[in-house]
Amino acid sequence: MKRVVSVSLGASTGDFKRELKLNGIDFTLSRVGCNADMELAASTLEKLDGHVDAIGLGGIDVYLRVAGDQFVIGDGLRLAQHAKITPVVDGSGLKETLERTTVETLVNRGYIQRGTKVLMVSALDRFGMAEALVAAGCECKFGDLIFNMKIDYPLTTLEELKDLARKYRSRLLTVPFRMLYPTGAAQNERSADGKFAHYYYEADVIAGDRHLILKHMPQDLHGKIILTNTTRPDTVDELRKAGARILATTTPDMDGVSAGTNVMEAAVVALADKPLSAITRDDYVEWSQRLKWQGEIHVLN
Amino acid sequence: MSSNEELSHSLRTFADDCNANEKLRVMNRDWNRVIHIHAEDTLADYTLTCHEGTVVYSEGTPANCDLRVAANCEVLTQVFYGEVSPNEPYNEGTLRVDGSEDDVLRLDFITAMLWEE
Repeated sequence: MKRVVSVSLGASTGDFKRELKLNGIDFTLSRVGCNADMELAASTLEKLDGHVDAIGLGGIDVYLRVAGDQFVIGDGLRLAQHAKITPVVDGSGLKETLERTTVETLVNRGYIQRGTKVLMVSALDRFGMAEALVAAGCECKFGDLIFNMKIDYPLTTLEELKDLARKYRSRLLTVPFRMLYPTGAAQNERSADGKFAHYYYEADVIAGDRHLILKHMPQDLHGKIILTNTTRPDTVDELRKAGARILATTTPDMDGVSAGTNVMEAAVVALADKPLSAITRDDYVEWSQRLKWQGEIHVLN
Repeated sequence: MSSNEELSHSLRTFADDCNANEKLRVMNRDWNRVIHIHAEDTLADYTLTCHEGTVVYSEGTPANCDLRVAANCEVLTQVFYGEVSPNEPYNEGTLRVDGSEDDVLRLDFITAMLWEE
């Protein structure tokens, strides 16, 4: 039995535990939400260190992988370093593989086509998805400045995203992560002013981080396609009630849970017979194909 | 040039750089804020007023401010010339920025957009 745990800065209400077979091996995948408490997350990592096969870090990134460059999130790296023995991953390695594949599936099924208007609430944490959407000919608005920093300025090209990442790289090391991304209870808060709702209305597809999508979404998502992951049954209900047409998740469904890529990547690390530093993007591609991991498309309305 | 004159020049340069950056002007078109800059060693005070994307420099203490930036004259001058990232003195405790988290983040963002490669 292999044991993989996701330690998340997110709310503990999203915790789950699933037992399943991966490549013929029994696995337990679980999530421990630490409600934005960095000290609790650090001590949880220390307790698990050496006692589980791999750890996923959720609710925070360690790396942003942008067009071949890797940008370090200071808070994420400092947190991950609390585990000295067990490998810790943030999902950024596997994310690119699964998210590109899901976009390709949406294109192949005709849900996305040239000229489709896409709002990606944040793209620096999902650059592979952004590249895939741009390659598919979508008209993209990237909301990193809007939804992470409250700067009403949509980015529209991959070059602008790369430029933002380069210019902000030193700040990523020091700016507290909670100032850039909702953690803990803040993940369940909803933006009341509707200031950015028009970006949702103007788009055919709303893509990116689930918490950011839900935090700023207007009540009416009639006909929209939602492309995200880490969904729970209540997420699906909320999107259905809002009138969303399609929910596409980038990670496979596990009894109502679309897990974070961090826990899936940790499972790959537990399976791969090599040290973390030797695992490459090709390994993630190979394992996700071998495990038949792919996103799922749910018709909501 | 005295240290106060140097600081004054750095602030005017900062305002000019902001105003010359079309992208920043658009980004900040709805960020209307008054920033008070206080030199702790020379007791000089200056004001940067951001209004509809334009930054205006003036001398003296504002009646009300949204952000207050304080340090010694040399640190402030280096920061507003873009010679030193504000993160360094901020983390060392030699630069203090008081205001809402969102406003502090925005001011830091502006400096990153102006000067980071």
